[in-house]
Amino acid sequence: MFGQAQPSERQPRVNGPLIVQSDKTLLLEVDHERADDCRRAIAPFAELERAPEHIHTYRVTPLGLWNARAAGHDAEQVVDALVQYSRYPVPHALLVDIAETMDRYGRLTLTKHPAHGLVLSTTDRPVLEEVLKSRRIAPLVGARIDADTVVVHPSERGQIKQTLLKLGWPAEDLAGYVDGEAHPIELLEEGWALRPYQKQAVENFWHGGSGVVVLPCGAGKTLVGAGSMAQAKSTTLILVTNTVSARQWKHELVKRTSLTEDEIGEYSGTRKEIRPVTIATYQVLTTRRKGVYPHLELFDSRDWGLIVYDEVHLLPAPVFKFTADLQARRRLGLTATLVREDGRESDVFSLIGPKRFDAPWKEIEAQGYIAPADCVEVRVNLTDSERLAYATAETEEKYRFCATTDTKRKVTQALVRRFAGQQILVIGQYIDQLDELGEHLNAPVIKGETSNAQREKLFDAFREGEISVLVVSKVANFSIDLPEATVAIQVSGTFGSRQEEAQRLGRVLRPKADGHQAHFYSVVARDTIDQDFAAHRQRFLAEQGYAYRIVDADEILAEG
Amino acid sequence: MSPEAHSAPRSLAEALRARDDASLAALLRSRPDLITPVPTDLTQLATRAGTRASVLRALERLDRFALQTAEALAVAPDPASYDTLLGLMAGDAGDETVAGALPHAVATLREQALLWGADDRLRLVRTARELLAPSAQHPSPTGLGPSVQEATSGMSPGRIQEIVAAAGLPSTHDSVSAAAALTALFTHRRKMAKLLAGAPDAAREVLSRLVWGPPYGQVTPDPAAHLRWLLDRGLLLPTAPGTVVLPREVALHLRAGRAHRGVEPLPPAVAPAAVHGAQVVDATAAGQAYTALATLEELLKDWDEGGPAVLRAGGLSVRDLKRTAVALDVSEPVAAFWCELAYAAGLIASDGEADERYAATPAYDEWRDLPPAERWAWLAQAWLAATRTPGLVGGRDAKDRTLSTLGPGLDRSAAPEVRHRVLSLLAGLPRGAAPDAESVLARLRWERPLRGANPDGGDDLRSRLARWTLSEAELLGVTGRGALSAHGRALFGAPAAESAGSGASAAASGAAEPVGPGDKLPVHHHRPADRLAPLPPAEQAVATAAAARLLAPLLPEPLDHVLLQADLTAVAPGPLQRPLADMLGVLADVESKGGATVYRFTPASVRRALDAGRAASDLHAFLTEHSRTPVPQPLAYLIDDVARRHGHLRVGAASAYVRCDDDALLNEILADKRAAGLRLRRLAPTVLAAQTDPATLLEGLRGMGFAPAAESAEGDVLITRAHAHRTPPRTAPEPVPDGPPPPDATLLAAAIRAIRAGDLAATAPRKTVGEPLAGGELPRTSSAETLATMQAAVLTGEAVWIGYVNADGAASQRVIAPIRVEGGFVTAYDHTADEVRTFPLHRITGVAELAEE
Repeated sequence: MFGQAQPSERQPRVNGPLIVQSDKTLLLEVDHERADDCRRAIAPFAELERAPEHIHTYRVTPLGLWNARAAGHDAEQVVDALVQYSRYPVPHALLVDIAETMDRYGRLTLTKHPAHGLVLSTTDRPVLEEVLKSRRIAPLVGARIDADTVVVHPSERGQIKQTLLKLGWPAEDLAGYVDGEAHPIELLEEGWALRPYQKQAVENFWHGGSGVVVLPCGAGKTLVGAGSMAQAKSTTLILVTNTVSARQWKHELVKRTSLTEDEIGEYSGTRKEIRPVTIATYQVLTTRRKGVYPHLELFDSRDWGLIVYDEVHLLPAPVFKFTADLQARRRLGLTATLVREDGRESDVFSLIGPKRFDAPWKEIEAQGYIAPADCVEVRVNLTDSERLAYATAETEEKYRFCATTDTKRKVTQALVRRFAGQQILVIGQYIDQLDELGEHLNAPVIKGETSNAQREKLFDAFREGEISVLVVSKVANFSIDLPEATVAIQVSGTFGSRQEEAQRLGRVLRPKADGHQAHFYSVVARDTIDQDFAAHRQRFLAEQGYAYRIVDADEILAEG
Repeated sequence: MSPEAHSAPRSLAEALRARDDASLAALLRSRPDLITPVPTDLTQLATRAGTRASVLRALERLDRFALQTAEALAVAPDPASYDTLLGLMAGDAGDETVAGALPHAVATLREQALLWGADDRLRLVRTARELLAPSAQHPSPTGLGPSVQEATSGMSPGRIQEIVAAAGLPSTHDSVSAAAALTALFTHRRKMAKLLAGAPDAAREVLSRLVWGPPYGQVTPDPAAHLRWLLDRGLLLPTAPGTVVLPREVALHLRAGRAHRGVEPLPPAVAPAAVHGAQVVDATAAGQAYTALATLEELLKDWDEGGPAVLRAGGLSVRDLKRTAVALDVSEPVAAFWCELAYAAGLIASDGEADERYAATPAYDEWRDLPPAERWAWLAQAWLAATRTPGLVGGRDAKDRTLSTLGPGLDRSAAPEVRHRVLSLLAGLPRGAAPDAESVLARLRWERPLRGANPDGGDDLRSRLARWTLSEAELLGVTGRGALSAHGRALFGAPAAESAGSGASAAASGAAEPVGPGDKLPVHHHRPADRLAPLPPAEQAVATAAAARLLAPLLPEPLDHVLLQADLTAVAPGPLQRPLADMLGVLADVESKGGATVYRFTPASVRRALDAGRAASDLHAFLTEHSRTPVPQPLAYLIDDVARRHGHLRVGAASAYVRCDDDALLNEILADKRAAGLRLRRLAPTVLAAQTDPATLLEGLRGMGFAPAAESAEGDVLITRAHAHRTPPRTAPEPVPDGPPPPDATLLAAAIRAIRAGDLAATAPRKTVGEPLAGGELPRTSSAETLATMQAAVLTGEAVWIGYVNADGAASQRVIAPIRVEGGFVTAYDHTADEVRTFPLHRITGVAELAEE
C-alpha cells in the first residue's frame, strides 16, 4: 500500500511485503497483494509473534529454524523466501547466520542400531567429538562403536536431546516409537466432521511422529487429540490441567469417538482409575510425598502408545522430567501459544517435539470457526477515599484494593443490565468480590469450594439457559465448555497473566448458534497497577489482532 | 646535456645522471624520502639513495620476485651479468616464466636505484648487497653460505694447499690463487659432478641436509670418515672451531644453479569465492550503507547530551564501549569500528573541558543536514584515508597497556595503503565476484614479503589490516556480500570495468614510454599510478562525489508516513523523513530496527512528548497527518489519558513546592509512605512544600506514579528539551602517513630541475674569464670584470656560474641567469634554488660563463 501510493521508477525496487529487521524479526504487511504467499513461505520457520491489523511480526529463532528443518525445509528455501519477499536488501550476515543455524540441525541423529540399540551418529565427525567432550554428555553415552557412532543409554534419550539442544547441536530423533498396547478407537463423525485445519493438524502430527499443535482457544483442540487417538489406535494417556477439564475431555471423547465410559479412566485426586484411555491431572502427577512422586507409576502402569499433553504451555517442570523418560512413545502437545512465562520453550521442543501445526486466531475466526469478539476495556475511577486507601496500602495489597473497587460493581451491574437476556459470565479473582457481585446480580457463584457436582449442575443450567448470569472464579479459567456464553465481564485477574486473558477470552469465542457477536469486557481501575496489569494482559490479544476499545465507566453508567 | 653514450657509468651517481626526467621522476615517486629535503645534486641523491634506512625502506616495498632477484644478486659476483642472474633465478634447466618475468624485476630494481650498470655489469647498491648477502649473523633467505673466497680468507696457506691437492688440482703459489682455483673447480658443473661421484653415501647425505640451508653444521674435533672426506676436499670449510659451512659454490652446484628453492615470478591470483549478480551486490551494499548511516546517527544521538568520559590516558573505557555495543546492538569490535569511524570523520571529539567527555562536533550538525549519499561519502572518504585501526582495540601495545577505542596507539601508517590495495584487488575481479579472503592475503604477502613478518601465518600486521579492510568495507557498504559494489569501485577512482591482472600486463605497454639512456632495459612506469598509493585529496574528492552519485538512487527514499496499530505500535516501513523521525523518537520508544522501524507508544513516551512542550491536540494532529490508517482508538485514548494527568501536579523551584487544585490528591501524596523521603509539608489546601530539590521531588512523585510538571518562578510550565552537547570546533585527526607523501607532478618537476641545476653547477665544464681555473674551484674575477660579465649576460640572457659568499661567510657556487644589474645588486634567476633572487655584487667572488655544450 506504500509502493502503489507513489508510482515511480523506484517502485520495482521497493515492492516486497516483507521487511527484515536487524533483530531477526520479520514484518509482514498484511494488505500487500503478495502477503498471503509470503506468509505461507515464512510460516514454516518464523514464529508469529504479533498479528495486529496492518503489520504482522514474525520472529526467526534457532528453535523456529530447527522446527523448519524437522519439517523438511532446508536453508536454501528459507533464504529464498526472505530474499524473494523482502522489500529491502537482506543483510548478508543474517542470511549466513540462518544458513549456519539450520545447518546445525541433523548433524547428529538418534537412530536404532540393529545390534547396539539406541545410537547417536553423525555426518560430521568434529561435531560428535565436540559434544562428546562436554561434561554433560559424557554420562549419557556408552561405548564408541566407530568414529561416527556412539551408543546412548536408552533411558537417556530425552536427557541427551535436551542437553544437545542446549549445546546448540539439536539431534534429529529417528529412533522411532513403540507401538504400545493396541486398542480400537474410531471417530464417530455423525452430524459433524473434523474441520479442515483439524484434519491437517492430525495429519502433520502423525507424519512427524511427535510434536506440538498450536490452535487458539475454542478452535477444537480436543478434537485434534481425538483424531490423533483414532490414528494411533492404541492405549492413550491424556494429561490435563485440572479435574473439570478431565471430565470435559471424557465427555467429549465419549461423544465423538467409539470409546465408551468404561474404557476411559480418570486419575485425579479423588479417583485413581487406570483404563485403556486414562486422563490424569498435572496436579496429581506432581504431588510430592516425602520427596518422591508417588503417582509416577502411572506412566509405567500400561504400555501407552500415545501421550497427549493438554495446555503444553502450562506443563509443570516435573512433568518435563518424567517426559524425558518417555521418548520412545508418541507425544502430542496441544496449546494455544508456545509462549511460556518461564521461558522453557526449548524443553518443549526437545522433549515433546517440534511444532507440527499452527494457525493464527484471526485466520480461524475468518473461516467462521470461532466467534468474532468485541473487546472493551472499561476504566473506572476510584473514589477519593479509595484513592487514599490505595496510596497507603502495602505493596502486596495494592492490587487487591484497586481491583475490588466498589465502582467496578456498579459498572458490572450496568453491563449486565445492558446485555440482559444474553448468557453472561462474570469472571474474577477475589472470592469476596465475587460473592458480593453474586449477591447484587442475584446470580450463583462458582468458586474453588463449590463441589464438582454442584459445578456440573450450574453449568448445565447455564447451558440450558435456565441461568443467564454466572459468576465464576479462576477455577473456570480452563477447558470448561460454555457454548452459549456471549458476554464475559472480567473484574479482576491473576495480576498480569497474558495466558489467563487469552483463556478467558476463549470462553466467549465458541461459535454462536445465531452467529452474533461475542463481547469481552475488562473492568479496570484507572491510574493504578490494575491498569498496568491490564495493559500487560491485553498485549497478547492485541498482538493476535483483538483490538481493545477503551471506554470510561461514566459512559456505561450513564446509559445504565 | 647529453651524456657520454660511449662510456658505461662508473657509479650510481653517474647512472642516475644518465637517466631522463621521466625515469628520475619514477624513482622519486616510489622513494619519496629521497627528496625530503630536495638534494642539491645527483651525487647527493645517489648518496642518499644508498643510505641504510632508505635502502631498507625501498627493499621493504619490493614484491617477492623483485626481492628474490635482489637476493640472488647479493649472492652473485659483483658485478654480475644478466645471464648469471638469470642462471641463479631460473637454474641450469631454465624456466620460461622466470625468464619472462626477470626483465621486469630487474627494471624495478633499476628504477628504484637499487641496481645500476648495464646488463653485462649489473651492480646491486652496496648497502643493499650488505643487507641481503649471507653472513653468520643474518642468514640469507636463500639459505646460501659464504663463498669459497670468503670462507678461506682466514685459513693457513698450508691447509689450503692441502685442500687443493686433495681436490685433485695442481698446487699454486699463494692462497688467493688457490682459492680461485677451488672456486673454478666448484663452479665447473662437469668436473664437480665427477668429484662428487666419488663421495661416500653418508657424505652425500650430509650435503643434501645442508644444501637448502642453513648451511652451517657442527663437527667434533675428530670427525667421522665421511665428514673428513668432505673437509679434505673443501666441500665443507671450517668457520669456527667445531663449525663448518657449505661453501656457496658447492651449494649452487647441488641446487643446479638455483639461488632459491622456490621462485615466485608471478603474483598469486585473487580467486573469487562466490559470484553474485551485480545488482544484488549493489543493493546489498546500499542497504548496508544506509544501516551504517543509521548506526552512526544512533551512536551520536546516544551521546548527544554528553557522551562517555575520556580516560586519563585518552580513549573510551571498556565499560563505555560495552554499553555502546549494547545500545547499538552490535558486538564490541563493531562498536569500536563505528566509534572510530565517527572520530576519523570528525563527527565526535573530546570536548576539552575539565571533566573531559566525548561529544559531537559542530561538523556533525553539518553532516546531519547532508543528503544520505553524501553523508555516506563523507564517512567512506574518512575511512579510506584513516590510519587509525579499530581492529587493534582490546589488544596491548609494546608497553602492555590495553589499547582503547579512540585512545592513543591505534595509528598504523600502512592502513590506508593496505585498504587501497585490497579494494584494488577486489576491483580486479569481475563485477559481483566476492574474493576468497585467503587468496587476497596471499597476494598481499607476495607484494610485500618483507613487511609480512610471518610469511606463512596470517598474523602479520598487513594481513590483519587486510582482513579488517574486508570486514569494514562490508560494514560500511563499500562491498555487498563480499563483492565490490559499483559505488565502492567509484570511491577510490577505479575504472568502471577493469580487467584482471593489471600488474602483469603493464610490462608490455610500458615499452612506448621514455627510456633511460644507458639503461639497456627500458625504465618504464610499469606501475599504474594508483596501484599502491591512495589518491591525492583533490582526486579523492572527485571520486567520492562520483561514488555518492552512484549510491544515491540505490538508497531508500525517506517516507512521510507510518502505520499505527491497535497494539500501540507504529511501524515505519522504511526510513523516515528527519522531522518525522525526530518527533516519533520522542513520542514513542523504538522497539526494533532494520529496514523498517517499529515504535511502541507507552505512557512514559507520551509523557516525554508532553514534557517536550507538545499539547495533546498537537500529538493527535501529528499522528493523523502521518498515519496512513485511522488512529486506533486505544492510542488516541492513551494520549488523552496521559495528557489528562500530565501537568496535573506542578512543582516549583523556589525551594520546591507541590501544588494541585485537587486537595484529595495532595492528601494522597502526604499519606503515601513513599513520600516520606521527599519531606513534604502542606502549605495550603492545594499546595505542598518540599525540602528536597525540585529534581528529586519530580523523580519521587513520578516514582509514585504521578505525572507532575515542573513550574518556573512565574508559574509557567517548564519545558524540558533535550539540549545537544557540542565540542568547540574540532578538526578530524590527521592521518599519520608512513614517510613523506608521494610528490605530485609539479613538485617532482621542480625537484628534478633543482637537482639538475645543482648538478650542472657542480659538474658543468666551464670556460673561465681571466686566468684559468682549476676544476671545482670558485671563480675569481675582479669586480669590474664581474660587473661587465653580468651586464653582458643580461643582454644575451645566458646563465653564468658564480662564486658567492653569503651573509654567514659560507662560500658556494651557483648557476644564475641575471635579469638586471642595478644599484650594486644583481637580480637573477637562481637555477640552484629555482627562484628569482637578488645578490649583492660585492658578495660575488667571481663569475664565469658556462662552457658551450
